[in-house]
Amino acid sequence: MNDAVAVELKGVVKRYNEILAVNQLDLSINTGEIFGLLGPNGSGKSTTLKMLLGLVTPDVGSISVLGKDVQKDPVAVKQQVGYVPESPRLYEFLTGIEYLDFIGDIYGMQTEEKKNRITEYLKALQLEGREGDMINGYSEGMKQKIALISAFLHRPKLLILDEPLSALDPRSARIVKDFLHQLKTQGVTTIMSTHVLEIAQAVCDRIGIMYQGRILALGNMKELRQMSKLPDSGLEDIFLKLTGTDDIRAVVEELLK
Amino acid sequence: MNWKNVLRLIRVERKSGRLIRGRKLTKYRESGFLAYWPYWAGLALGIVTGLLAGMIYNVASAADPSISKPFQDGALSVFLSLPTLVLVYSLVFTTMQQIQRSGVKTSSQVPYWLPVTWQEHTLASILASLLGFPLASVVFITSAITILSVFIGQFLPAVMASLAVFAAAFMASAITEVLRILQVRFIGAVYKSSGRAAVWVRFIGSLLFFLVFYIIYFYMTSGGAVTFIQTIASAQTAAWFIPFVWLGMTLYSFTSGLLLQGFIFLALSILFIAGLFFLATLLNRRFGLYEPPAITISRGVYAPRTGFLGKFGFSTAEASLIRKDLRAFTRRRELMTIFIIPIVIILVQVMQTLGSTTANVPAQFFVYFAASAFLLPASVMAMSLGSFMIGEEGQAVWRIYASPLSAKTLVKSKYFFIIFFSIVVLAITGIFGFVVYHPSLRATVVSYCEAVFLIFALGAISLSNGIKGADFTETPRARMIHLSWSMINVGVCLLAGVAILAPFFPYAISSMLSEIMPGLTGVALLDPLLAVVVSAIIAIILTAIFYRIALKNARELLTKAEM
Repeated sequence: MNDAVAVELKGVVKRYNEILAVNQLDLSINTGEIFGLLGPNGSGKSTTLKMLLGLVTPDVGSISVLGKDVQKDPVAVKQQVGYVPESPRLYEFLTGIEYLDFIGDIYGMQTEEKKNRITEYLKALQLEGREGDMINGYSEGMKQKIALISAFLHRPKLLILDEPLSALDPRSARIVKDFLHQLKTQGVTTIMSTHVLEIAQAVCDRIGIMYQGRILALGNMKELRQMSKLPDSGLEDIFLKLTGTDDIRAVVEELLK
Repeated sequence: MNWKNVLRLIRVERKSGRLIRGRKLTKYRESGFLAYWPYWAGLALGIVTGLLAGMIYNVASAADPSISKPFQDGALSVFLSLPTLVLVYSLVFTTMQQIQRSGVKTSSQVPYWLPVTWQEHTLASILASLLGFPLASVVFITSAITILSVFIGQFLPAVMASLAVFAAAFMASAITEVLRILQVRFIGAVYKSSGRAAVWVRFIGSLLFFLVFYIIYFYMTSGGAVTFIQTIASAQTAAWFIPFVWLGMTLYSFTSGLLLQGFIFLALSILFIAGLFFLATLLNRRFGLYEPPAITISRGVYAPRTGFLGKFGFSTAEASLIRKDLRAFTRRRELMTIFIIPIVIILVQVMQTLGSTTANVPAQFFVYFAASAFLLPASVMAMSLGSFMIGEEGQAVWRIYASPLSAKTLVKSKYFFIIFFSIVVLAITGIFGFVVYHPSLRATVVSYCEAVFLIFALGAISLSNGIKGADFTETPRARMIHLSWSMINVGVCLLAGVAILAPFFPYAISSMLSEIMPGLTGVALLDPLLAVVVSAIIAIILTAIFYRIALKNARELLTKAEM
């Protein structure tokens, strides 16, 4: 794998008993790319993201992240990755600042650098003044901000974000989006999973649509439009057509009966 | 009041018990009959108990007719004290129920978006707190006394006592409901006004609460219960002005033929219960949706510190994990209770010591009390901490999985924490043992050494088991370790404890024999210092083995990453 490729999955299969979560997945994500991984519930997105961190072991296939084999050296991979899970559970008995301090220490950050970055992020995401409160008193949005800061704090080379903008207020969401773009120019790769297709369309360079454990379509917006034969449509229509879930009208009419 | 709504709400509360018991909902099939098994069991047991007691009475009174009268008087006295007795224990058990339910957010959360009035919600909450053991025991008591009363000719007092018992249980649950709301609202206010000291207010407050709770619980479940019933029966009439005994006073008045007085106490009892219910409703309406404020711990400029752990060779990651765990054990209620263990052990010991003094037990037995003051609290602490240290991460364990932490880092930091706190406990309880029992200097040194060996070995064993059996389930409460692994841990720790202390057994046995049989002077006392060396070797071997197992288990845990 060359330096231009940040993440590479080859023939990856993951099965949970009878359920085939990921089916012969081949995927390459380039360095400095913002990649959107979309798909209906149960399509295998979260399993794929977890496999990238070594949290789930593939039954078959190989995964390389930032030039390292995830299975052989997961700690080294995690050192360079920032991760936000779909429902981040934080240590609710810590204050926001204690949590971030803890994260900084876990990643071995220098004291001064850690202090500066935490202060900057808290200010940027408008958590100043609340950092001394225990996390169990935070709103969902505030918890999400803390989870995001903890992913960005050590300046990872790869960001894996599962629904990163959920529960965020518009200003914070915009800051995060712009920040991801800035990180991209610095060579940081981002893999993002989201159900908010407008966000994926606005933020991602390339999008992979997963369905039943496979990549159904892969490319930038222009390529996806060509694949779906919907030249003037947005990502929502493309997604619904490709995943075969475009029977919305019929469903709504059924509900109205 | 829409009674159907009340029933629906109670049904929801009853089903929340599935979460309390941590059942796998995907496989949950509820049988209408089995869902109510505790009450059927209570009824069946009550009937059998009543029948047995009645038959014993029949046989005994046939053999000796003179016992009939005292038996009937005694039974009546018990009937009269039952409402107050049920009130007291229902208070304890409904409080336990509330503590359990508080973890089930979905069930305890007020469904304010539904068309349910506060009266309906409050009534349902009060009745739901009685579900389970409190109600089953009331069913047992009432069925038992009703059946017994047929044999002893006290049917009417038994029926009245049964009604009063149900009313007492309701009264207790209403009191618990009032206290619950006040606790949420006003403890929150205390935290807020305490500022940075709030964590310590909560820590000490929780310790005190559980301590008082445990003392009451032990008192009621030990021999003290009989004394308690006798006290209630004799003191009830003297304390007639206290509303909590009005139900008992109603019974007393009616059975004594004081009808007017009986009706007055009955009316007062009904008014008091209604008053409690309206107070609970009022408080729920006012504070039912109250969210306790966040505890502010730090204000001002953020200043990270390296801390002293770094100077002792801990990496930043290890020191950070240790600091985080320290905060967890001083801020999370379910973890704070671990500090109760040594206090309760010492309390139980004090009670035993007092009892032993009065019973003229040989003074040499105090050596064993002293030894257990050194060995027991710290060992139990190491065992409990070890088994919880990984599971306490809960759902937030994803941070451990996603962080670049090696198994070595994880085990080292967790193990240090176990050893550090157990040594602190040993220092405190050791001083207690020394001051109270005055052991010789040699015995003190030996006891301290043995306790340290136990801490190191049991800490490693429990940590290895705690990693293997870690349970990260948090709803409705943090489970921390699977039950099966908890039992395995206790078994292995017991065996290890016996192995480490085994070199002292000849010493203890010969010492005991010489006390019991003074003629056996030929039994040589072994030098305990020699036993310490052997004991140390055993402890070191066990510690090394189980530390390695803990490392292996940690590697597996980090690879499997099951959440």
